[in-house]
Amino acid sequence: MLLSTSPALRASFFALPPSLRRACYATATSPSASHPEIFDLVCVGGGPAGLSLISSLKSQSSTKRLKIALIDAQKLSAPPRTGDGDASGTREFSNRCSSLTPASVKFLKRIGAWENVEQGRVQAYTGMEVWDGVSGAKINFDPMDRGRVAGVVESLGRLVPGSGFGRGAEDEGAGEVATMCENSNLTAALVERVRGLEGVEVLDGTKVEGIELGPEKEKDGMSLDLSLWPVLRLPGNRKIAARLLVGADGANSPVRTFADIPSKGWDYNQHGVVATLQLDQVQDVSAPRKAFQRFLPTGPIALLPLPGNKASLVWSTTTALASHLKSLPPAEFTAAVNAAFRLLTTDISYMLTHSTASQDLDWRESQTDLRALGLPQDFPRVDSVVSGSIASFPLRMRHASTYTGHRIALIGDAAHTIHPLAGQGLNLGLADAESLARHLAIGMEAGMDIGSCWCLDGYGSDRWGKNNAVMGVVDKVGKVFGASAGPVVWARSLGFNAVERLGWVKGGLMRGASG
Amino acid sequence: MPTSSPSSILTLPASIRSLIVAQSGLQSAFPRLATAIPRVGQIQTTRNYVTESTTAPQSSVNATEVSHFNTLASEWWDPHGSSRLLHLMNPLRHQFINRCLATHGGENTTQQKYLDIGCGGGIFAESAARLASTASVTAVDPTPEVISVAKQHQRVDPLLLEPGRLTYRNIPIEELPLPNTPSEGFDIVSLFEVIEHIQQPSSFLPNILQHIKPGGWLIGSTIARTSVSWFTTKFMAEQVLRMVPRGTHEWSQYIQPTEMRSWATKEADLDAEGIGWQVMGVVYVPGLGWKEVKGSEGWGNYFFGVRKNTAT
Repeated sequence: MLLSTSPALRASFFALPPSLRRACYATATSPSASHPEIFDLVCVGGGPAGLSLISSLKSQSSTKRLKIALIDAQKLSAPPRTGDGDASGTREFSNRCSSLTPASVKFLKRIGAWENVEQGRVQAYTGMEVWDGVSGAKINFDPMDRGRVAGVVESLGRLVPGSGFGRGAEDEGAGEVATMCENSNLTAALVERVRGLEGVEVLDGTKVEGIELGPEKEKDGMSLDLSLWPVLRLPGNRKIAARLLVGADGANSPVRTFADIPSKGWDYNQHGVVATLQLDQVQDVSAPRKAFQRFLPTGPIALLPLPGNKASLVWSTTTALASHLKSLPPAEFTAAVNAAFRLLTTDISYMLTHSTASQDLDWRESQTDLRALGLPQDFPRVDSVVSGSIASFPLRMRHASTYTGHRIALIGDAAHTIHPLAGQGLNLGLADAESLARHLAIGMEAGMDIGSCWCLDGYGSDRWGKNNAVMGVVDKVGKVFGASAGPVVWARSLGFNAVERLGWVKGGLMRGASG
Repeated sequence: MPTSSPSSILTLPASIRSLIVAQSGLQSAFPRLATAIPRVGQIQTTRNYVTESTTAPQSSVNATEVSHFNTLASEWWDPHGSSRLLHLMNPLRHQFINRCLATHGGENTTQQKYLDIGCGGGIFAESAARLASTASVTAVDPTPEVISVAKQHQRVDPLLLEPGRLTYRNIPIEELPLPNTPSEGFDIVSLFEVIEHIQQPSSFLPNILQHIKPGGWLIGSTIARTSVSWFTTKFMAEQVLRMVPRGTHEWSQYIQPTEMRSWATKEADLDAEGIGWQVMGVVYVPGLGWKEVKGSEGWGNYFFGVRKNTAT
């Protein structure tokens, strides 16, 4: 900048009276190019993983003095809010919801973010009914039963997207299976939390122009050597160096690219269709709510409760069917959803390829023995779909080959892309943040450089190891399926291949494996 | 048994000590996997941690020792080098220091001044200098190359370059000026994996005590001289697994915790009778890392801490 340009300029600068010099400093937005600003931790990505990492660090005594920068290309502003406790207020529910596990909620409470979540827009649920679309074989995941059912059923429960059976029994709030929460509600709560923290510079609406290593070190002397520090180039010729650069920057993580960490995986030929639905039942706020899930040959369809008479739909199906569903007019989409939960699979196929008119549904339903198909007695009817809420996402699986490098840590989707349904990825991202924050605290207490492998290895082996163990666990579960009579039919419709190929299943199993 | 009285062995020169030990029939070795100061090379020596010159009788280091550590210098900060076990052990050092300070309610109450003797590449010195509860760290080592490695590594951390936070000195401890008054001494004087490299601990240790402030602590770690430690440190770590270079350890110079304590008890300045004496045995478990194992101080790696009396 001004001071770094030329000695002559610098000399004339110092000839100015102090007041003028100060004015120059004030307008000089960046320090000289050769001396980047130093931060202890720079987090790229202001999603739930990055935000909760920062909140967590600032809530631990050994890490709360860290100098942190949070960078996000988007503006991190809280979205408009409805009035307190106004559950079905004027604003419709977002179709991007997550099913937070009790462990995630506990973590969010501990870091002071949960109190900022708009409680009128979250819905806890206490059970999930799961049944097989082919045989009607049924399994209840009622927390009351969990003490009795043995490991196999528990394991099956973990296969269900949107469920959080892995830890429920030993956590507080053991009555809850999980809590539905809009991603936007959670993010807004975390942003509010982070904005109030000292020692955090929030650089939102700021694009990272580049990441490179610091300048070559001088051969002699004792000057600072940043040659192995990541330095981020920001707009306005600003440069910041990170003792630890955290990539919370999503599936296409630039931080991961900078660190040259490969991410491997595959795409499923499947899409997840999401929508916000209106049900015929008006639920009392305090009434216990349930989630429902039916396994169809094309993939599972799930109905997850939102406050009042709303629910979140998560329907995994083939890419072709997904685009067909998105093209339907609202009334026919509603009929298709009702059909998918209620009818024989042959009827569903027929309707989806020929006619999704609601009369068709009524007629077929009248000819169907719903009980024999396993339809739960208290299953609601879908009245309508909230306009504009239908969307779909390709299902894919990616896993970074490592979560850490020298002065690098990856969390959330940057580390692993699990399919976006029902927020299992979000739970994993929160668990990453919690684990990384814990390991940074351990490192600080032992005087470690938090960017060094001595500090980061523990995080990597904690989280990556759990994911990596999954393949082996899946194999064992496969054997269990084969050996026990009860869930065999259910397991058949699920299909072992599907288990092996679906990322979210692995995520669930992983947590199962870790207890 | 041949070590007639535990404390008297410390007063003997190393050559004699090794003789006694040889007669005792205790040849064996389980590595004290972490070795104090990693050395490279195949130098077969009697080790003495003393200065570059052996002529000064009061100096604690000899030439072969120094050259051994020179060849090791490049490996100090290699995560997979021969210092790996020392890095892994480092958090336990802080844990033990905190435990010692806590016995007298001193934890976090004051900013601690550290003196790290035999600092090597600076593993402990750097970590101590980063702690929020640290006022300053002075780190000394007689080996020029390791100090040079330590200083180069200091450059990569701007925190450690803050004036006065971490000062390395390439001198034997005998050349470090004594404090003008006792209260200007150090709160914590550390001797990690050093004492087993000293030829005459009985003359080396009293000198060090003068650097400790009244109420301060002498903290160290070393290896007990047992068949287990011979097997682990000499045979397994140096010969079989090659986790540390050959010649890293001189088993005959290993010291039992009972010997340390009986020396400390005889020092009038030290409070080694009650809670002023602390010891913690640690064991390296492959796959799990270093773990505290109660009672293991009698046969393997251990930490000791002894407090200097407040009124002297």
